[in-house]
Amino acid sequence: MRITQGTFSFLPDLTDDQIVAQVEYCLNNNWAIGVEYTDDPHPRSFLWEMWGNPMFDLRDAAGVMMEVRACRKAVPDHYIRINAFDSSRGFETVRLSFIVNRPKVEPTFKYTRTEVAGRTVNITMTTEF
Amino acid sequence: MSTTIVAKGEAPPPAPPTSDTPPASIDLAEDFRESGVAEVLAQLDRELVGLKPVKQRIRETAALLLVDRARKRMGLTQTTPTLHMSFTGNPGTGKTTVALRMADLLFRLGYVRKGHLVSVTRDDLVGQYIGHTAPKTKDVLKKAMGGVLFIDEAYYLYRPDNERDYGQEAIEILLQVMENQRDDLVVILAGYADRMDRFYQSNPGFRSRIAHHIDFPDYEDGELLAIADTMLTEQNYRLDAGAREAMTQYIALRRAQPHFANARSIRNALDRARLRQANRLFESTAGAVDKEALSTIVAADIRASRVFSGGLDSERRSPS
Amino acid sequence: MNAQTETKAQNTELKGKERYRSGVLKYAQMGYWNGDYVPKDTDILALFRITPQDGVDPIEAAAAVAGESSTATWTVVWTDRLTAAEQYRAKAYRVEPVPNNPGQWFAYIAYDLILFEEGSIANLTASIIGNVFGFKPLKALRLEDMRLPVAYVKTFKGPATGIVMERERLDKFGRPLLGATTKPKLGLSAKNYGRVVYEGLKGGLDFMKDDENINSQPFMHWRDRFLYCMEGVAKASAQTGEVKGHYLNVTAGTMEEMYKRAELAKETGSTIVMIDLVIGYTAIQSMANWSRQNDMILHLHRAGHGTYTRQKTHGVSFRVIAKWMRLAGVDHIHAGTSVGKLEGDPLTVQGYYNVLRELKNEIDLPRGIYFEQDWADIKKVMPVASGGIHAGQMHQLIDLFGDDVVLQFGGGTIGHPMGIQAGATANRVALEAMVLARNEGRDIKNEGPEILRAAARWCKPLEAALDVWGDISFNYQSTDTSDYVPSPTVSA
Repeated sequence: MRITQGTFSFLPDLTDDQIVAQVEYCLNNNWAIGVEYTDDPHPRSFLWEMWGNPMFDLRDAAGVMMEVRACRKAVPDHYIRINAFDSSRGFETVRLSFIVNRPKVEPTFKYTRTEVAGRTVNITMTTEF
Repeated sequence: MSTTIVAKGEAPPPAPPTSDTPPASIDLAEDFRESGVAEVLAQLDRELVGLKPVKQRIRETAALLLVDRARKRMGLTQTTPTLHMSFTGNPGTGKTTVALRMADLLFRLGYVRKGHLVSVTRDDLVGQYIGHTAPKTKDVLKKAMGGVLFIDEAYYLYRPDNERDYGQEAIEILLQVMENQRDDLVVILAGYADRMDRFYQSNPGFRSRIAHHIDFPDYEDGELLAIADTMLTEQNYRLDAGAREAMTQYIALRRAQPHFANARSIRNALDRARLRQANRLFESTAGAVDKEALSTIVAADIRASRVFSGGLDSERRSPS
Repeated sequence: MNAQTETKAQNTELKGKERYRSGVLKYAQMGYWNGDYVPKDTDILALFRITPQDGVDPIEAAAAVAGESSTATWTVVWTDRLTAAEQYRAKAYRVEPVPNNPGQWFAYIAYDLILFEEGSIANLTASIIGNVFGFKPLKALRLEDMRLPVAYVKTFKGPATGIVMERERLDKFGRPLLGATTKPKLGLSAKNYGRVVYEGLKGGLDFMKDDENINSQPFMHWRDRFLYCMEGVAKASAQTGEVKGHYLNVTAGTMEEMYKRAELAKETGSTIVMIDLVIGYTAIQSMANWSRQNDMILHLHRAGHGTYTRQKTHGVSFRVIAKWMRLAGVDHIHAGTSVGKLEGDPLTVQGYYNVLRELKNEIDLPRGIYFEQDWADIKKVMPVASGGIHAGQMHQLIDLFGDDVVLQFGGGTIGHPMGIQAGATANRVALEAMVLARNEGRDIKNEGPEILRAAARWCKPLEAALDVWGDISFNYQSTDTSDYVPSPTVSA
């Protein structure tokens, strides 16, 4: 199942050139870039593992691509995403986040229904690898 | 910590149009003007007094880069040329200034994408404990990518006598990047000539990766006097005739002493001269002092220096 | 027209015994006009657009508005002297003609902070607009803008969630959010309704939405709707790996009933609830408090606003409503599309968006912002663009409004020839392709159609959407454009 998280998931997977263009856009906005990876893309699991600290003061996307390639080499079968952090007042959050690597076989989500009062049903979602 | 990132704000001049059929001929003189290279060289000329041999070498290098670019457009060459450089010379001979202009030049000719300069020394690259060096070096490299990395006193990376030194790791990483990511980064190594020579001998990997060696000779005596004049004029001081003669002798003597840092040594000497002038006026003048007195340095202010009696002017000065 | 000239002699404030002699005085004589008054940082300021009746002096009219929206009545009263009356009187301090609109005047009025209760929009509005709009000497009156001092802003908690937190909860960054209202507006049963919700979310939308008049009618009771919708939301979430939501409309006849409905929304795991403007300002504030306590995003549909926001001469400008709602604490508010089927001049609508999203509004007359407004770090409200927009307009929408907006394509999703999922996918692909292109530095305003066509080549749903709707546009003359710049209506 193709997980559609991240800003560009409905488009075909981005080429490295397209990734560079997006990273350049972030650098032009003075956003710091962080690379993260995970094998569990549950939508409520916002803590992916950090591949190194977020990178500040970069002037060019080459540095980021270096890390992305190293990450792909290290964990080729994980999801890898790029986050851009904006430190300005009123934001102080992520401004762009997109996937740059997917496992060959993506997990699905199982969801279980628990019937409670009346016809109410509580639904829990778990990752199924 | 001396990492400085010098911003490059302007957009590059438009690259010459690329089409599927390579041009049959290229007007180099026009290229020279269009690309803005002429401007950079002119700026260098203005900023640095004298230094004729260095300026000549820069001009030659610029010509080579321009021709290389033309050859690429004509399809005569496909690969990126090696651009890493080695600047050798005493401190205060303009190496950092030239590095900055070089970054600009490379940017205007399209060899680097962003054109900023990151200036570091060994301590910015090497860690203090195991595992510290690689991320530290990589961090600096990432910040420099798209521009130029200037490593001052590069030989300090290599300390073979200390087996717990982590400089070797930084060296490996540097060599790797210098070879495999020539599109992303240009490296300039700098330092005293003799020490750089020994460094290259012990680390031959560097020598083979460096395309341009530029030597920065010391300023001539006359040039240093002119620099002293400029520095003083900027602060509304002047040397009287006696002081001028004293300064000329000072320069000749000081140059022969160790740790001579060219323009920087001149600046230091002038700072001390101004101190002595101030004390002289304070102690010995009765009544009011006029503008003339306040802005004139006399011979005594200079001759008080210990340089004239064979010693150093102050306690041990650190080089550069 | 000599009716417009000021007659200063009759418009100066009377003092002392003169002032409190029984009888009728002009408002300007009673102290409600003071051309020398410098507003304090703690004053609440209001800008009114006044159309006096023929023969009525504009300064007198402005003073009357100031008076009737603060302490005055139509005749002198001695009991005023039991109070620090001068401080309680609102002061009209500036009156100027509206450019290109003879007979209309801008009147700036200042109100002392003491006149208002902390944290109460009901009180603010009762004070400012509660009395004066029916006043006979005015042909028409419109509240154009207000300046709320930091001292007053700080008495409100503001949006419970806000744009930043909403995105972090949804884990969605860098692009506008997508929604759609279930269609038809009325009549679907709970199961059919849940089906539409599921299809839209599965296809690629972030949110689906109840319409403003879906509350709890004979054809579908609210409990059933909530249960079937949330099944749709959960299933779509499991099939996409994304956080999804449906705005469950909890609007009801009483607060008690609304709380009951909100509780069920919470129990079923919804991330967001929805209310209509017509529940009233007090109810809105209560719901904002509830939302904050229950980690819920609060969506406000501006139902009914058009009755008083649309005409330039009379009513309340939507930008004032937007300011009030930001203070009241809603997280989403419908704010206009410019290019869709509902009223909205592009610059004016951008003005509304700025009021909702900026930390500090600067004066911007072409966008209708007349005051500097410091929001004292109150959270930002996510504007919602909804009403007759379709994928073919994606480049215009992003160019006009940026990323922090919810774009809602009701008909544009459900009316898609290949089905609802395809409609949703078409919108999502169009959106992502446009954002990608914009980040790359392309000129989406002009190259938009080309970018859409390029994406349509590999996305059949988008191709079908463009074929069906590509030429639709809503080009009518706007009724509420800025007086400071002529702006053509945007065409598709």
